[in-house]
Amino acid sequence: MKRSRGRSAFLFSCIAPAVILFFIFMILPTLNVFRMSLFEKGAYTPTETFVGLKNFRTLLADANFIRSMQNTILLIVVVTIITFAFALVFAAILTREKIKGQNFFRIVFYIPNILSVVVISGIFSAVYKPENGMLNSIIGLFRDMSDPILWKGEKLVMVSLIIAMVWQAIGYYMVMYMASMSGVPQSLYESASLDGAGRIAQFFQITIPLVWTNIRTTLTFFIISTINMAFLFVKAMTSGGPNHASEVTLSYMYSQKDAGLYGYSMAIGVIIFLFSFALSALVNKVTEREPLEF
Amino acid sequence: MKMKKIMSAALAACMVVGSCGTAVFAEDAYADYAGTTISVAAIETAYGSEMWTQVCEEFTALTGIEVDLITDKNLEDVIGPSMQGGEYPDVIHLATGREAALTEQFIKGNLIADITDVLSMTVPGEEAAVSDKIAGGFTETSLTNPYGDGKTYLAPMFYSPCGLFYNKGLLEEKGWEIPATWDEMWELGDKALEEGIYLFTYPTTGYFDAFFYALMYSAGGAEFFDKATHYEEGIWETEEAKTCFDIVAKLASYTNPITPAQANDQDFTQNQQLVLDNKAIFMPNGTWIVGEMAEAPRADGFEWGMTALPAVADGGDRYSYTWFEQAWIPAGAENVDAAKLFLAFLYSDTACEIFVGSGAVQPVLGIADKLEGDNVMFYSIYDDGAKAAMGNFAAFEAIPGVEIRPVFFDPVNSLVSGDMTEDDWTAGIISASDQMRENLK
Repeated sequence: MKRSRGRSAFLFSCIAPAVILFFIFMILPTLNVFRMSLFEKGAYTPTETFVGLKNFRTLLADANFIRSMQNTILLIVVVTIITFAFALVFAAILTREKIKGQNFFRIVFYIPNILSVVVISGIFSAVYKPENGMLNSIIGLFRDMSDPILWKGEKLVMVSLIIAMVWQAIGYYMVMYMASMSGVPQSLYESASLDGAGRIAQFFQITIPLVWTNIRTTLTFFIISTINMAFLFVKAMTSGGPNHASEVTLSYMYSQKDAGLYGYSMAIGVIIFLFSFALSALVNKVTEREPLEF
Repeated sequence: MKMKKIMSAALAACMVVGSCGTAVFAEDAYADYAGTTISVAAIETAYGSEMWTQVCEEFTALTGIEVDLITDKNLEDVIGPSMQGGEYPDVIHLATGREAALTEQFIKGNLIADITDVLSMTVPGEEAAVSDKIAGGFTETSLTNPYGDGKTYLAPMFYSPCGLFYNKGLLEEKGWEIPATWDEMWELGDKALEEGIYLFTYPTTGYFDAFFYALMYSAGGAEFFDKATHYEEGIWETEEAKTCFDIVAKLASYTNPITPAQANDQDFTQNQQLVLDNKAIFMPNGTWIVGEMAEAPRADGFEWGMTALPAVADGGDRYSYTWFEQAWIPAGAENVDAAKLFLAFLYSDTACEIFVGSGAVQPVLGIADKLEGDNVMFYSIYDDGAKAAMGNFAAFEAIPGVEIRPVFFDPVNSLVSGDMTEDDWTAGIISASDQMRENLK
């Protein structure tokens, strides 16, 4: 009895620092976001007025917020699908096939992930430059470019953001998939090929079902990281422009804070929090399968 | 008990000795501030931060007040968090119109100390009062008196005439005249386009504020400007307002079409480069452009030129907006009196000379004699017949989703790319202006 009490005290003292820090720096600020969303307050004003759900009602009628939400959803859907497809295929090729320079490709794909978003934005700004930018120069070999394509113009700015975000994310997810794919026993593929299954059939029948748990985890990562990365890319590449065509929820939240609407921007924070939580839960539920063992 | 008495006597003696000690350094006039340290936070712009260090050193040498100086290009990020925690610098030099809008937030929240009495203070080390040194008009605008109550809250700092910048060499080479009216401007636009040169470009839509203010003055004079910047009912449906909107919309059709794709905080220098490369003739800008693009490549024979906005009609007034920065004292500052002394010192001959050495021009009388290089030409714009436009949109309580720049100026990007019509733009302004009027401070 005495021993178990001592053991409990020891365990408690081991986890207490982490729990206390987690509470102070994670739980408390999060709760504060929810609390602040019910108040009207400037970032620097000492006074705050309780306004109930007014901030949320205003949000639903705010056309700028709705547009930024649309852009965020577009990015989540498109970036996830494209990155997912490319990362999975590249991972399968690099683990299953014997190609020359395998390690070289692994490094090349992973490099964008090490670079800071500001550097990537700088690179892509040079690529997208209307005059003598790389992309327009290449296209200029095939067609007349006296009227250059405006990659960061109002019509194409979201496409340009998507390309940069996919380029940045592929390597990270590819490495994650490669790690779990290399755990799939070689014998399964051998017996499948004896049964006459081709490479594509093997990919869909063996590889994907066996790395499914990993895929589910990465889908949640996709949602959260796209929301976060979109803010960085927008800030560093377009400043939300032209005329707010590339504004995303987090950048809009930031601009409302600067406009002196701290409570309102916290309400946007709450919406993003609930949205990403709900979407992750939904994706998790939809992709639920009986785990396969090998 | 006895011990306590001895101790307090000893402490009191120490204090007397201590205060005598510091009083030796400061002049009698500043004896009250002995041992005071003020913190000064100044934005680092194209002028650099060295001038601030020197000015603070001179101030300390004169008054004995120590200065903790903070300068940074992103000053808001440096001082913002501690101010949210209730710790304020004593003096902040940070202009309105920046993206983080920190100064605007302090204005909206009534968080700035009244500095009207600084104007009647004697400049430290000199005989003259501050108000005798500051040039006329600078302390009567909504940029310094944001609440229109006759009290001054923000001190005017480094001014710069804004106008249309161009390549003088190009115009001379082609034999084109500087347009005096907007009609002449359009003629020049057509002529230039035949040679593959666009009439106009702009760095970002943020540069349209100074442009639009000057345009409002030239379309309807000071009265229209005052009504418009206070969002008077029906003001945007008047002839004068229509003239302004039509000019901007027409100018959009003469703008180099790649401009909007580069009109962001990262690529705006590419738009400025269009003027250096003779791909656009005019751009709205300020005198700092010369330093900002000093290293950039340029067309042969390039020479900076600057002109006021063309007149709306033949013989009409031409305006150039006077852009200036502001220094202010947060209401929560600890050493308000010493901070006021510092503000007054910023207009002393010593400070003005240090500032002008870095290209920053204080709005004081007689400063024109101290200018050099391109600045002589830029700052003489008002001597050449252009009138000075000053002021800005009146402050209003923060409204979700409604801000000056997104409503008035950001849509210019869409006007240029053809994604928005002039009617949509003005409709947005009218509806936002109604809300701004209801929330006027």
